[in-house]
Amino acid sequence: MDTSNSQKAQLAALSAPSVIFTVVMIAFPFCYTIWISFQAVSATGMMRFDGVANYVRMVKDGQFWNGLWITIYLYVLSLTLQLVCGTALALLLFRARRLPGFIRSLFISPFMLPPVVAGMMWLIILDPSLGAANYILTSLGLPPSNWLASPALVVPTLALIDTWQWTPYVALIVLGGLQSLPPSVYEAAEIDGASRTKTLFRITLPLLLPTLVTAMVLRSVDLLRFFDLIYITTQGGPANASTTLNIYGFRMGFEFFQFGYAGALMITLSALVLGVVLALNRLRNAVAW
Amino acid sequence: MTSTPSADRWIGYLNTVLLMVAGIIVVAPTLWMVLSSFKFSHEVTAYPPTLFFTPTLTNYVSLWERTPFIQYGINSAVVTSASTALGILLGTPAAFVVSWTRITWPAIVTLLARMAPGTLFLLPWYLMFRQIDMIGSYWALILTHAVITMPIVIWVLLPFFDNIPRSIFEAAQVDGCSPIRVFYRIALPLVSAGLSVSSILAFVFSWNYFLFALVLSNSDTKTLIAASFNFIGEGSTNWGALMAAATLIALPPLVLAIIVQRWLVSGLTLGAVKG
Repeated sequence: MDTSNSQKAQLAALSAPSVIFTVVMIAFPFCYTIWISFQAVSATGMMRFDGVANYVRMVKDGQFWNGLWITIYLYVLSLTLQLVCGTALALLLFRARRLPGFIRSLFISPFMLPPVVAGMMWLIILDPSLGAANYILTSLGLPPSNWLASPALVVPTLALIDTWQWTPYVALIVLGGLQSLPPSVYEAAEIDGASRTKTLFRITLPLLLPTLVTAMVLRSVDLLRFFDLIYITTQGGPANASTTLNIYGFRMGFEFFQFGYAGALMITLSALVLGVVLALNRLRNAVAW
Repeated sequence: MTSTPSADRWIGYLNTVLLMVAGIIVVAPTLWMVLSSFKFSHEVTAYPPTLFFTPTLTNYVSLWERTPFIQYGINSAVVTSASTALGILLGTPAAFVVSWTRITWPAIVTLLARMAPGTLFLLPWYLMFRQIDMIGSYWALILTHAVITMPIVIWVLLPFFDNIPRSIFEAAQVDGCSPIRVFYRIALPLVSAGLSVSSILAFVFSWNYFLFALVLSNSDTKTLIAASFNFIGEGSTNWGALMAAATLIALPPLVLAIIVQRWLVSGLTLGAVKG
């Protein structure tokens, strides 16, 4: 299409408001945080160039390494659980074929809930002394658990809550992938006499890999920045056992008003998110068919 | 070979049973929240937990009487509606231009907002808004929530604009229609379905967003989600009221999500998956 100068001007005018907004509210603040991560910022906002001091402090800070470990632990555990459960659920839904609208809404409901609300309801279900979860455990003859109040179990418990909330989302993505697979592959497998398990592991899952990687990208971005649910339920406790990098950075910034150090932590976390997304993108290209 | 008819039928039954179990796990916690919100306080904390009880509205009444719940609700409605409107106003022409010119970098920059942790933006925003004395104002919340809504609008609308046959635009241009006229006379009416989906998704995500209001609101502008944090502090003594608050907060996004469920997955995956 031939684009004349007046057309260019009009297209620019149409996009100008969003470009200005993106620069002022997203791009500039992003650069500003990079900049303040090299500053010593006082609580009143006075700044002094401080070189890489914040990053040096970070490398020497045990709580940073602890936060990084918790972030990765929570990420790997939640992602694995959600992919496995999500794929299983998608296969069940795919086999059922006809899916009434209200069943679909039912499966959508957890991930449309505010994570804050999910946190509130699970706080009560998982209450160590009066919660329904421990009642179910003890009626099955199992020992009760301290769930979110236990330093050893808090991360797996958070992973379970997040898995409850996001498994249906992963399942719907995988279901989309299943529905777009060419039926001819299955027919060929059936003619060749392949068993069900063989068809699943040798044909369906390999063909689904690109979809699974897409689901991984989308979940990774959220899981590495895990915040709402933790802040509502434990605020990073007990004894910092659920203080992810994101929680740690937030507390450094808005409880201790150490903006420079908080900035360095957030830039590091963003680099981690970006690294994971780029790595998964390479993986997606490798498994594309 | 297992594909004998009776084996097939048994696998079908097993499939249905497993799906029902999955359905129960998915719904039970939400159902428990709603049930608890209608229980008297002694029954919410009863051990063993009770499934059958006489329903009551006391928890909802106590929210009304003891907390500025209505005020928080109004704050949420104002911030969410205004940031959704702003997201649509900014994002719709942007999506049209990206679709028309195939220049995608502005849309990709908005993904920064999706990939970087919220605190990264909150640090500079806090310093900026403090400088101009806007912390606690509606505008600070509306502008920051538009950082959530605008990228959703752009990415949900893009495939809708892409689906319009290029020949329609070309014909309009031959007739002397300028891009701005093509945008609001021809393209906009053709993406009306996309506009409703993107505004509903933007509304839900803005409503659910916690972090920005946690720091940038004050007691007069606090949104329901940010106020939840206070409810939990008080809720340690009153679970019923806490569950009533949670139920009311969850209601708008749930209702809206059910309305757009058909487009939900493709919308939520930024078009990466056709739902």
